[in-house]
Parts: sequence; structure tokens; C-alpha cells
Amino acid sequence: MTKSSSTRAQRWLALAWLALVLTAGGHTLWLWLGDHLQIDTDVLAMLPQNQRDPAVQAVTRQLTDAASRRIVVVIGGRDWNAARQGGDAFASALAGSGAKLQVRYRAGNQQAAQWLDFFAPYHAQLLSVEQRHTLNTLSPQQLSGQALAALYQPMGMPRFVSWGDDPLNLYANWLAQRAEQSPVRVNDGRLALSHNDQQYTLLMLEQAGSAFSMSEQQALLPILERARQAALSAAPGVEVLVVGVPIYAAAAANQAQREVHTIGIGSLCGIVLLTLIAFSAIRPRILVTLSIAIGLICALSLSSLLFTRLHLITLVFGASLVGVAENYGTNYFSNRLGWPEDQRWAILRRQSPSMWLAMLTTAIGYLLLALAPFPGLRQIALFSVVGLLSAFITVQLWFPFLDRGTLNFTRFARWIGNRRAAWPTLGKNRATLLLTLAIGITLCGALRLHSNDDIRLLQNTPASLIAEQIRLNTLLDLPGPAQFYLIRGTSPEQVLQREEALKNRLDPLIGASGLGGYQAVSDWVPSIARQSADAALIRRAVDGPQGVRARVAAQLGSSSNASATPFKPLLVDQWLAAPVSEPLRFQWLGRFENGYASVILLRGADRTATMRQLAALPAQLSGVQWVDKVDEISSILERYRHIMGWVILASYALVFIALCLRFGRQGWRALLPTLLASALSLALLALMGQPIQLFNVLALLLILGMGVDYGIFLLAQPDPREPRAFLSVSLAAVSTLLSFGLLALSSTPALRAFGLTMMFGICLSWLLMPFFLPAPHTETPSNAAPHPHAE
Amino acid sequence: MKRFWLALTLSLCALSSGATGLADAVRAQLAQPAVLRGAFEQSKQVAGFSKPLLSSGDFVVARARGVLWNTRTPFASQLKLTRSQIVATQDGQIAFQLNASKEPAVRTINSLMFSLLSGEIGELARQFTITGTTNPKGWKLVLTPRDSGLGKVMSQITLNGDQYVRHIEIIEASGDRTRIRFLPQTTAPAVLSPQESSQFD
Repeated sequence: MTKSSSTRAQRWLALAWLALVLTAGGHTLWLWLGDHLQIDTDVLAMLPQNQRDPAVQAVTRQLTDAASRRIVVVIGGRDWNAARQGGDAFASALAGSGAKLQVRYRAGNQQAAQWLDFFAPYHAQLLSVEQRHTLNTLSPQQLSGQALAALYQPMGMPRFVSWGDDPLNLYANWLAQRAEQSPVRVNDGRLALSHNDQQYTLLMLEQAGSAFSMSEQQALLPILERARQAALSAAPGVEVLVVGVPIYAAAAANQAQREVHTIGIGSLCGIVLLTLIAFSAIRPRILVTLSIAIGLICALSLSSLLFTRLHLITLVFGASLVGVAENYGTNYFSNRLGWPEDQRWAILRRQSPSMWLAMLTTAIGYLLLALAPFPGLRQIALFSVVGLLSAFITVQLWFPFLDRGTLNFTRFARWIGNRRAAWPTLGKNRATLLLTLAIGITLCGALRLHSNDDIRLLQNTPASLIAEQIRLNTLLDLPGPAQFYLIRGTSPEQVLQREEALKNRLDPLIGASGLGGYQAVSDWVPSIARQSADAALIRRAVDGPQGVRARVAAQLGSSSNASATPFKPLLVDQWLAAPVSEPLRFQWLGRFENGYASVILLRGADRTATMRQLAALPAQLSGVQWVDKVDEISSILERYRHIMGWVILASYALVFIALCLRFGRQGWRALLPTLLASALSLALLALMGQPIQLFNVLALLLILGMGVDYGIFLLAQPDPREPRAFLSVSLAAVSTLLSFGLLALSSTPALRAFGLTMMFGICLSWLLMPFFLPAPHTETPSNAAPHPHAE
Repeated sequence: MKRFWLALTLSLCALSSGATGLADAVRAQLAQPAVLRGAFEQSKQVAGFSKPLLSSGDFVVARARGVLWNTRTPFASQLKLTRSQIVATQDGQIAFQLNASKEPAVRTINSLMFSLLSGEIGELARQFTITGTTNPKGWKLVLTPRDSGLGKVMSQITLNGDQYVRHIEIIEASGDRTRIRFLPQTTAPAVLSPQESSQFD
């Protein structure tokens, strides 16, 4: 019969496992403390290698890196003096805080002088779109009329080159149109902007250092808040807007921490309390937690050896999936109830087949993930299978050693275990009819099922921050970093020419079609081809006996001899080397792959229809690529959702085969409840109007793993008078609800979607499972455990 | 950022006082009408032209609406300054146009114009160093740009007047020089005629 103590082999195996666990633990510690763990947070890295465009990846990383360090502060109201005092107070509060911030606020007019001086030598070859149109359409007579009138005007555009050099004052107008791209000016030696009658000061903050550190970002929030208060007390009543990615990130992290504190502590207390009530001992909880912790440690250690970089999503998803291991430990302890200490090995041996089956059916689903050609899914598959297996091995090899002492049936445990008898069973009865009706009606809800993979749904930005962002956009109109054009060419000249070809297509879209504007290097440094064409156009209009200069001179009776400026192209390198290029320099990518590249950014393009138009433009142009990071991430999420969906369906098929091998014709009883629970969860979500996304599907995979375990444990001990199996299943279900289901309370949308699905799915699996068990009088499968009587 | 723009803020406008005493004295003398009409004679000395460019015309300054500057001879053209834009037209064609929505300096130019009319000259002291003299019969102010950006455009503005501004002289950084003499000005009627009003639209 059963042996009451461990064999030599069991001791050796346990020691061997200890050695492995210690190695993995040491490795994990080294990864953690030594900062050797390379975690990838770029969602694009989850695409298969051949579907990734390294160029696009590099550019988006560059752009989002810059954006993720920038904070814009706008302070003002009706009165410029108040804006100035507020801005000054904010700046000095920052300076006194010791924060690692680079602040741009004070500005001299020497920058203005730099602009004028830099472009002046090239004034006779720079034209705006409007100027080109005017010179092409107006007659020399009309042009000289304008030049004459301007001469007599008491005020007008200031001249930066002499009348003789530029009688139409094209240069000042060209500069004025460049200036229109930004509302930022210098006022009183400070960055300033105005909107309607409001006056604002502007502070551009940049987090120093390239390292992206959550703790530094969070440390920033109180500093900015104090600066905001300083501004408000220096100038009461001013509007203060503080906007930037670091603030969103810090706010999200704060919120996540708050939730971890409330939900996490709530869930921990609940689980500990449950264990105490059910077992009147804390040991089961400690050991179950130990088994899961070892699972995670081994998974992390092995995954980091096999993959050079682990993706953040691997860690999040993998850790969740390992949670199924909860079932094994709970099953052990539930079946241990009421047995004397020396029966530990015998109990484990009796439970082993069920546990093995439970583990294998879960592992099947996880392993299937690895078949998809996506590196992210392979990582998740490896991580979760290793974690699951390690936790399982820990239960098998260690639990009898670590679990000393007796474990008696508590009244609560017995009460729970006996509830099973309260369930009706499937058959020709009223309960079956009612259940069928309820299921049928709920599933009708599935007709409303829809999916939405938009990454923006996963954002978790407080409404007040979004309101500030919208307000800032109306004031400042900065180009967005999420959508842009990537322009490539074999030479800088070709890149600029391609930019100009694209801009020709963009110009008609500005205004009515929902595009605010664009920002391109070629606005400042046109291609040489464009420069020489413009120079020729200007010469034709201005020089010669029929040109504006000669006509005006003739009319005013004065000789105005021109010193024709020789053509000397303005080159990108000169512009890059000058301070004037600073605001746009990042858009010139320079040497890139085998050629050169640049980026054109867009302002005020947020309508979906506009996006579609913009995305369609590159098809008609060469060397131009539309990059929409938001769209791209959303489509990756969608593909992952589809693949996971198929994996789940395939898992059901394989699990069904496995169950039939073990339970014969009764196998379906362990699977159908879970299938129904999953379908009903989706239907309930649909009825609630929740769109389906990747995180719901992840939960479905987990529900499959969990639910089938419940089915196996119950079907292996189908006697309704046997309380242990149902106790085990109930405790496991409540623990899962407390750990994952409580995430339904989270305000982070991804976690809420996951938690809500888990809550529905686990509740329903548990609720439906006993209903599908064979009726007491039917033939039960073999291998049922003997029923010791509890004391 | 494109910062030079403030530079071209003030080509015509002007008048201010750093010293509050000077400001108060000038304000005490200036009439502050709702509508001011008058004629002008202008002489402009531009590099490259041997003779000064002479022109004349009339103007309307309506506090609530803006300024219309009509050059009549030798070429007809109009300059209009309102809250939201500056427009120069010639033969019914727009020669140049600046919109406040895109160019904030338009508002600054206008606020300076109104500073001139209302005597709110403290505003200008930020951009100009102001010296001047006053006596019971009139006043004279000399404005010199404080910063290099504005200095790139103009080097000095001189104004004199009594209850009205009578003369303005603008010396640009290039050396070009504009002298404007205001002929008799009237403050009545204090409302715009329908025709004047429509020109502001």
C-alpha cells in the first residue's frame, strides 16, 4: 500500500531541485542587482524580425525618446506682467529645487540677429509658396506698382537688405512666413506666446540624461507642483499649464502604485485570511506562494539565458500565466486535510496523475503560443511553461518535505467541500432547462461582440492632464511625434527634393482637409534645384530693363544700380552647423543606411479621414514612407489577439484529446464548463459594451488552464460526498479571483479588461463545473481516491 | 523658435516715457478722442534714391476699430491696421497682409498705436529708452530701442506735439529716414461714417 516516508530517490531529487533553484535564484539576483536584465519596452520589438523596419524603429525611438523627456510649461492670462511674474517665479522655483532639468526660458534678441544674418546672403534664392505664385502670376507692371506703393508706405515689413538688392522685400516676407510656423516669440527677454488677448510666458524643460528612470520622473511631480504654486502665488489668477510625457508617465506610475497598494494589499489579506480559515494554518499559503515564486525565478533565469532581451510584455503576461500553478499546491493541501502526517507521500502519489494531467493540459496551451512566428509570443510561451513546470516540480518534490505536522478539517473547509452536493446535475430536469435558457439568452449578447485594439484605449491619463494637453495644443500647436513621414534618398539633395515633392501634395490638404501644417527641413533649406529655380524667378522679375528695379527707378527718376548677388547654394551642412537650425535639427537624420534621410512632422492632424489621406500619399511618391506608431502598435496588438485566439481554440482541441485519453467518454465533462464559461464571459463583456482586446484574450487562455484543472480534479474524485476535491477547486478559484479578478477594480484599462474577464470566467467555471459532473449513480471512472474519514 | 519677429513690430508707431513724470506730462497734454481724422505729408529718404520720396494723404484713427492710412499722391494706396490684421492694398489688390492669428506682433503694433493715442506710454518704455522735454505748449520725445533685435530695424524715433502728435521722424537702422508732418486734425464727428466704418471690415 502506501509508504509513510520519503525514499532515498525522493531525497536526492529534492536536493537536486534545490541545487537548480539556488542556481536560478543566484542568477536572477545577479540579473536584478547587477542591472543585467535587458528589458525591451518598445512594442515594435514584438514583431517578427523580417517585418520590422530597423530604420523606422530607430527614428521612432529617437523621436519618442526626445518627446518622453520634454515638459512644456505655459503661464499667463490677460496681463503680460502677470504672465512674466508667474514665469519668473516658476523658473526660480525650478532653479532652487536642484532638479535635473534643462530649462529654456530666458532668451535674448541675439538669436533674432543670428537668424537675419544667417539667411541674408541667400536672400535672392529663397521663396515661399505664396511668393513663387505671386512672381509667376503678376505682370512686371503690377509687381513694380507694389514695390512703388511700399516705398511710400509709412510702415511695412522692415528691410534686412537694401532696397536695391531686394526691391520687393521678398526676404522679409519669406522670414515672416517661416516665423508663422511657430507662435513662440521673445518678449521682454523671455519666451512668450499670445493667443487672442491672452499673454503667456513659455518654459521648455528637458529632463537631463538619456536614462529613462521612473523614480526620477516621479520625483519631478512634487517639484513641478511647488513651482506651479510659486507661480500662482507670485501672480494670482494666472493659468498654469504643465504638459509632457514625463508627467503622464509619473501620474500613471503613481496610480499604478496606489492600486498595487490597495488592490494588492486587499488581495493578499483576502488570500491569507482564506487560507487561515480553510486550513487553520498559514503553512499552506506560504508553500503555495513559494512554489509560484520558484516558478517565476526559474522562468526569468532561463528566459534571459535564451533571449538576449526580454520584453516587458513577456514579464507581465508570463507572470500572469504562471499563476495557474496556484492549483497544484492548493490541490495538494486540500487532499492532505484530515490525513495523518505520515500519509503525505501517499497523498501526493494519489494526486499525482491528476496534477500531471492538469499541468500538461495547461502547458499544451502555452506551448502552442510558441508556434506563432512572433518573438514576443515565443518568449511568453517559454517563460510561462518554464514557470509552470518549475512550480509543479516544487510541489511534487518539496511539499511533502516542507509540509510537516497535521492538517485537520476545519468546519469551514468541510462546509465548503460539502456544498458540492447542493448542485443539481445535468439531465432532464428543471435546472438544466433554466440553465440552458440563461446560457442561450446571455450568448445572444455575444452578437454585440466587437473588438478594438487601439492602443489609446490602454492609456490611463487622468482627465485633468488631458484637458491641459488639449489647452496647450490650441496655444502652442506643436507637431505630434506619433505620426510622421520618413524621407530617404541617396544624397541630401535628393532627400530635400523628395521633401518638396511631398510638400506639394500636403499643401492642398492644409486647412479645410484637417491638416494644420507641417514642419520640414526643406522649409529652411530648399533643395539646390529649388534654390536655383527661385533665384532665376527672382532675377526675371527684378533684374533687366523690364524688371521691377528698372521700372521703379525710371518712374522715380533715380538710378538704382543693382549688385546682382551671385548664386551660392545654401547647404544642409551649413544650416546644421549654425545655431538657427537648433529647433529643427533633430528632423535631419543625416547619413542613414546607404543614403540620407529626414523626417517631416505634422501639426493638427487628428481626424481619422485626414490620417487616411496622409497615409495614402507616399504611394504616389518615391522615397517617402508614412509612419504611424499608434496605428502600428494597435495592429500588432490585433495580430497578437488573433493568434492567441487561434491558439486557444487549438488548445481546446488538444486538451479534449488529452482528457478523453484519461477519462474516456466522460472527458467532455471537464472541458465543456470551461468552454461555456469563456463564451459567457465574452458575452457578458459584450453586453457591458466592452470591446474585446488582447488582454481579454490573455485572460481566456488563463481561464482555460484554470478551468480544465478544476474539471480534472473534480472528475478524478467524482463522489459528491468527497469534500476535498471540491474544496481544492473552490479555494483555488477564490485565490485566483482575489489575485487576478480584483484587477477588475483597476483604473488601468488593460488591467481592468484582464481582471473583468478573469472574474467572469473563473466564477462561471467554478459555478458550472459541478453541474456537469456525472450523476452519483452513474459509473465513475477508476482511480478514485479512497475516502478516509476525517476526525 | 522664430524670435526675430518682435523686431519688426514698430515701424511707424511710437511714443513713450520711462520717466513717469514725462509720461504724465505728455498724457496731460494729449487729447484722447474716440475718432481722430487728419491729413499728412510724408517725406522718405531711401538709400539708392537721390531725391526724397514725397507723398500725402489722409488718415482716420478710430480707437475702437483701428487705423486707416490713405496715401493719395503720387500713388493711391491704403494701409489698414485693425485688432486682427495689418493689410496694405493697392489698386484693390492686397500687397501684403499680416494676421494676428499667425503673427502676434500685429497685436503689439496695434496696442502701440493705441498707446500713442491714449497717452498710455508706459508700455513703450519696455522697448525704448525714452528721453524728452515738455513745456506748457508742447512736448518732444526721443525713443531709442533697448535691445539689439529692434535695433536691427530702427535706430531712433522722434515725436513732437501738443494735444496732438504733430511730427514723427523715424530713422531706420539702414539709414532710411521717414518724416511725417500732420496737418490740422479734428476729433469731430466722434463716430465713423458708414463709409469709413465699412473700410474697417
